[in-house]
Amino acid sequence: MKRFFKNIAIKTNNTYVNFINFFKVSNINVKASMALMGLGQLMYRQIGRGILYLAIEILGIVFFSLYGFHWLVGLITLGTVEADPWTGLEGDNSVIFLLLGLMSLTLLILFIALYISNVKDAYKTSLLVLKGEKIPTFKEDLKDLLDKKFYKTMLFLPLLGTLIFSVLPIVFMILVAFTNYGDTVLPPVLVDWIGIDNFVKIFSLGDIGPTFFKILGWNILWAVSTTLLNYVLGLLLAIILNKKVVKAKFFWRLFPILAYAIPGFITLTAFKFMFAQGGPINQYIIQAGGSAIPFLTKDGTWWARIIGLLINAWLTVPSVMLLATGILSNINNDLYEAARIDGAGSFKQFKDITLPFVVFATTPTLITSFIGNFNNFGVFYFLRGAIESDGYFASNDTDLLINWLYRLSIDNTYYSIGAAISLIIFVITSAISLIIYIKSPAYKKEDTFR
Amino acid sequence: MRRTFNNLSTNKQVKKVLSAVFIYCILIIVSAIFFFPCLWLILSSFSKTGSLYDIEGFFPKEFSFDSFIKLFTDTSQYNYPMWLLNTLIIAIFNCIFSTLLVIGTAYTISYFQFKSRKGLMKGALILSMFPSFMGMTVIYILMTQFNIVNNIWGLILIYSCTAPLGYLVQKGFFDTIPQSIYEAAKIDGATNARIFSTITLPLAKPIIVYTALTSFAWPWSDFILPKLLLIDKNNWTVAVGLMQLQQNEFSRFAAGSVFIAIPIVVLYFFLVKYMVNGMTAGAVKG
Repeated sequence: MKRFFKNIAIKTNNTYVNFINFFKVSNINVKASMALMGLGQLMYRQIGRGILYLAIEILGIVFFSLYGFHWLVGLITLGTVEADPWTGLEGDNSVIFLLLGLMSLTLLILFIALYISNVKDAYKTSLLVLKGEKIPTFKEDLKDLLDKKFYKTMLFLPLLGTLIFSVLPIVFMILVAFTNYGDTVLPPVLVDWIGIDNFVKIFSLGDIGPTFFKILGWNILWAVSTTLLNYVLGLLLAIILNKKVVKAKFFWRLFPILAYAIPGFITLTAFKFMFAQGGPINQYIIQAGGSAIPFLTKDGTWWARIIGLLINAWLTVPSVMLLATGILSNINNDLYEAARIDGAGSFKQFKDITLPFVVFATTPTLITSFIGNFNNFGVFYFLRGAIESDGYFASNDTDLLINWLYRLSIDNTYYSIGAAISLIIFVITSAISLIIYIKSPAYKKEDTFR
Repeated sequence: MRRTFNNLSTNKQVKKVLSAVFIYCILIIVSAIFFFPCLWLILSSFSKTGSLYDIEGFFPKEFSFDSFIKLFTDTSQYNYPMWLLNTLIIAIFNCIFSTLLVIGTAYTISYFQFKSRKGLMKGALILSMFPSFMGMTVIYILMTQFNIVNNIWGLILIYSCTAPLGYLVQKGFFDTIPQSIYEAAKIDGATNARIFSTITLPLAKPIIVYTALTSFAWPWSDFILPKLLLIDKNNWTVAVGLMQLQQNEFSRFAAGSVFIAIPIVVLYFFLVKYMVNGMTAGAVKG
């Protein structure tokens, strides 16, 4: 820990020294760009570039003095004037303050980044001049966007879309996790920053804490068992279908692919009907003289869990099978040939060649499917979406964390608790996968093809 | 000596036949398990009685086309044709925009070695670790705060803008195109934009087809986002609409499901080879 801070101290010191040195070596034009965006470029007669940078600076200053600064302050206070219906006073809306503050913060970061790029750009040009090379004209700059800088052109829209529709919402929710927004605190009531109180609530006794741990326990049990079950069944199916005795392989593969292709919401709803209290299975049981089994009702905890497990197998075994089939066909036949000459039986061949190869090749997908199953929203949303169990806070005994998250933030209005749970889910899933992704040879050697 | 040898070989043959019988038994059982729910839905869609309770057991006793006819004519409460049209519009535009953005992103990340490339890839990875509900909750909150008019264009925009994050399968494809193909064009002085449009795109036809078809198929099966975003009944997609049908409308649900499932299933049978490739590519590339 000490070393960590020491490193940071050294780094900041280095940056500072670097900056001083940079300031010393840079010429008057670069310094001009430091003072006013685009000035250095204009002094180098890069008119187009200079005007663009200058326009950005002017726009930035106008925006921040008119709105941006207020919005940033609003991000800190989250509103100070409480609405009063008696006097008709229209108070501050904390959610809008949070949103605008976040937007303004993003723009500020963008502005600083552009400012730095403007200095760097002037510096690059000064180096070109020192070397006696030609300064590119604005037209050449634009042309470069279709050649050397083509990646900038191509990535502009995707990055913009991702920023607006993925990054900003996530940052917004992360911020919400540290407020008391939700339940009774909804605009026009003012929202406040409350630090880590939401996380304390989740990890302590009360109504939320016990529910969290019960759901987490079931969630882990579910993720492990369903992943293993699907993996083993899918692998077995692929191996059976791969056997030489099986004729008309395409025909037998049709059925799993059919199951794979039907949209999930259709099959899940159909299974819900099938196991319903008055559904066909219970009708047969009653006809045979039994009494209806509460498969998916409030009392059917373990019925529902096991049915969920089996239905998820029905839904995902085909994809495991398809994957394993592809991998099986990649195994070099020479290996089997050599094994046969050495006198290895078919079981030994399977144990020593097929299994290690398939397991090795599918390990990364095993991880991704574990995470997919950990966050498997659909199964229990469809099977028991309307049920709330006793002893659970706005939830039931088959809910996974992700289902609980949905109930908390969409069905009810516990936004901040929901956001805190999202972050916990994120920590769990990323901790599992980060180790795998970064350490896996596949990630390190991603460019070995070339 | 000879007799024992014969015995041995017949023994072996018997074993072989037995194991074959065993394997075929398993296959038949597995196929039945996968096929039965589909068969049940198909038969129920042709049942004469509409409710789950009236069918009595799995198989309807009388068959008719009533459910299908009702599906398209009785639109006062459940406007299936409208849902179909909405989903079709969403699917077509999502197909166009998503394919453009995903292919562009995948190609760029694969082909160019620019400075922030690794950082962007790691960023995309981290983003995909957050539960998708975080973004949806924000959309939901904003809708409740601002009363944003719920329309299908918002859905198309969100689908398309979040699509580039799923670029990995496509990148895996572009990674397999050897750089040497581009060298000749580079020597001739072609710009990167030109190389992309005249060399890369024609080579990438299979992955473009795959991307287009999967992004076309997605709105037909997604239910969470449209359910949150589309409140007005006339804006619903097929998935949201069918989810509202209760047990007493069972055969209507079955008919509506069968009607959209058939084209999707046919699509998947064509795509299955690409899907497997995509899955293995995703597996290896992480």
